[in-house]
Amino acid sequence: MSKTREMTAPLLEISHLSVMLKKRRDRLKAVDDLSFKVYPGEILGLVGESGAGKSMTGSAILGLIDPPLYISSGEIIFDGNRIDQNASSIRGSKISMIFQDPLVSLNPLRKIGDQLVEAIRTHINMSKAEAFDRAKTLLAEVGIDPRRINAYPHTFSGGMRQRVVIALALAPEPSLIIADEPTTALDVSVQAQILDLLKRLCRERGTSIILITHDMGVIAETTDRVAVLYAGRLAEIGETASVLNSPRHPYTKGLVAATPRIDADSYKKKLFQIPGAMPDLEQIPQGCAFHPRCDFANAQCKIQQPPLFEDRSACWLLKDGSEIS
Amino acid sequence: MLIIILRRLLQAVMVLLFVALISFLIFRFVGNPVESLLGQEATVAQRAALENALGLNDPIYEQYANFVWRALQFDFGNSYRGALPVAELIALRLPATLELAITSAIFAVIFGVITGIYTAINRGSMMTNFILSTSLVGVSLPTFLIGVLLIWLFSVELNWLPSFGRGEVVDLGWWTTGYLTVSGLKSLILPSITLGLYQMTLIMRLTRAEMLEVLRQDYIRLAVALGQSKRQVYFFHALPNILIPVITITGLQLGSVIAFAIITETVFQWPGVGLLFINAVYFVDIPVMSAYLLLVGFAFVVINLVVDLLYLLIDPRLRDGQLRKEV
Repeated sequence: MSKTREMTAPLLEISHLSVMLKKRRDRLKAVDDLSFKVYPGEILGLVGESGAGKSMTGSAILGLIDPPLYISSGEIIFDGNRIDQNASSIRGSKISMIFQDPLVSLNPLRKIGDQLVEAIRTHINMSKAEAFDRAKTLLAEVGIDPRRINAYPHTFSGGMRQRVVIALALAPEPSLIIADEPTTALDVSVQAQILDLLKRLCRERGTSIILITHDMGVIAETTDRVAVLYAGRLAEIGETASVLNSPRHPYTKGLVAATPRIDADSYKKKLFQIPGAMPDLEQIPQGCAFHPRCDFANAQCKIQQPPLFEDRSACWLLKDGSEIS
Repeated sequence: MLIIILRRLLQAVMVLLFVALISFLIFRFVGNPVESLLGQEATVAQRAALENALGLNDPIYEQYANFVWRALQFDFGNSYRGALPVAELIALRLPATLELAITSAIFAVIFGVITGIYTAINRGSMMTNFILSTSLVGVSLPTFLIGVLLIWLFSVELNWLPSFGRGEVVDLGWWTTGYLTVSGLKSLILPSITLGLYQMTLIMRLTRAEMLEVLRQDYIRLAVALGQSKRQVYFFHALPNILIPVITITGLQLGSVIAFAIITETVFQWPGVGLLFINAVYFVDIPVMSAYLLLVGFAFVVINLVVDLLYLLIDPRLRDGQLRKEV
């Protein structure tokens, strides 16, 4: 699978992207020299703690970064074109987005049908009646009774509203959807339904997804590949199964170990915790940002920022191709 | 839905009855109507006769019921001065005040909402800063000073607009209007600006604050992320969501514009009910004062009723009897 993927051209290529936060005289790096690719039809997970730069990366792709944040360097290439300077042309039509909280993602004063028609007609040249029919089809596809097209958002539950939001995002047939914690605000049982729906619809259409989450369980169930972010930097990237089963970066190892499992004797074990907390933007340490929390840190880790080794993990311990134990 | 409307109507009636009670109490207990009517030199027999004629010896609740009943038929008694029926006096002058109030309210809403949206969208631009700092002047200068300044500039120095009165009016039988003549329209300009300037700045600041708040909402971010144009985002998504607070304040302001047009009417010698009221106060003309009170109360109640019904029109959540618990 990974071989064929490398041969196709990536849909989205982010290289050396940095996003800075202007704070009085300081310039703080919120996203630091981040590079990754998204291939057609794949689901890439972006995982990390709050403040690791996941959402900011998503916003940067769509050009939704407002002062005091700004893109300071790097390129974002979508379908062969640079979009980091001019994202408005692809916004919605080629790349769309789903936000975390469906309860506030829909305009409360407009019928869902009107909002769908509005989204469709923004990008596709068709009559109101055609757009209305299309909106009905979309609703049916996301599992909502098309007869409810004239209902207002407040008459739907959270899960149903997220379905409407998915229909909105799919309306102009984009080739990439950035889903920013799409299930965090929902009940666990509804989460699985929404993820399945998103996955199925995107597989059918060949749409790629960047799934932003802090939930390793969601990553395991949904994504093909995963990128682990820490303090705005890429810690590890690779096939999901490989990253989760044999993590190479100590931070990933910690994340995997800290994920609760339900098995026969899990209740006897104490859940693992990574000591300490992710640093604030003002206090990102020199060298590897993770070294103060890392059990394996050596002198080099404290001085020099590690590059990505073997296209997989940014950790000095992998320098010689050796595995850490 | 129907129940909500009926409940609001019932509330409105209760409020009006209460306003009528206060108005009645003023009428009945402030000053002595008998003395006001007959003067100090009247005989005891004359006084008793008048007290009987006015029904002042009846039980108090009966007097109140009578008062309400007569008010329902627009019978507010006769003015102490001139002995004309109060209803006639008010009917004669109400069109002037209503036309002034409505014109200034339209002026205030249109300019207030437009500049409010403009300054919210173009935050930090030169024009925005200019409008915002000018609006501070509008808020802090007292109405009469603005009126006098406008008269000085446009009437005395430039001689463009009349400084007082309504100009020529057209009599439609039950209504006299200044909207149909050039001089009537010209006469409306200065008093309307004077009366509406404060409301305009208030509406502008409210619109701006609401707009800034709404633009932070997730559904706006989503609309932007889905590539919708600025026009769609501002007018399809944002504008309806700022209407409720803006309409609330506009309604309240329209009420006070009608009630407190007094100062503007005095400055411009505008022949409206405000001027009538001021004169009534000078001469302790109680029936006119109490009728004016009722009228203003009625205007407030009607406007608020309309505002409440507009809420239902705008917000589907309220139509379903659901309070705004989510936003």
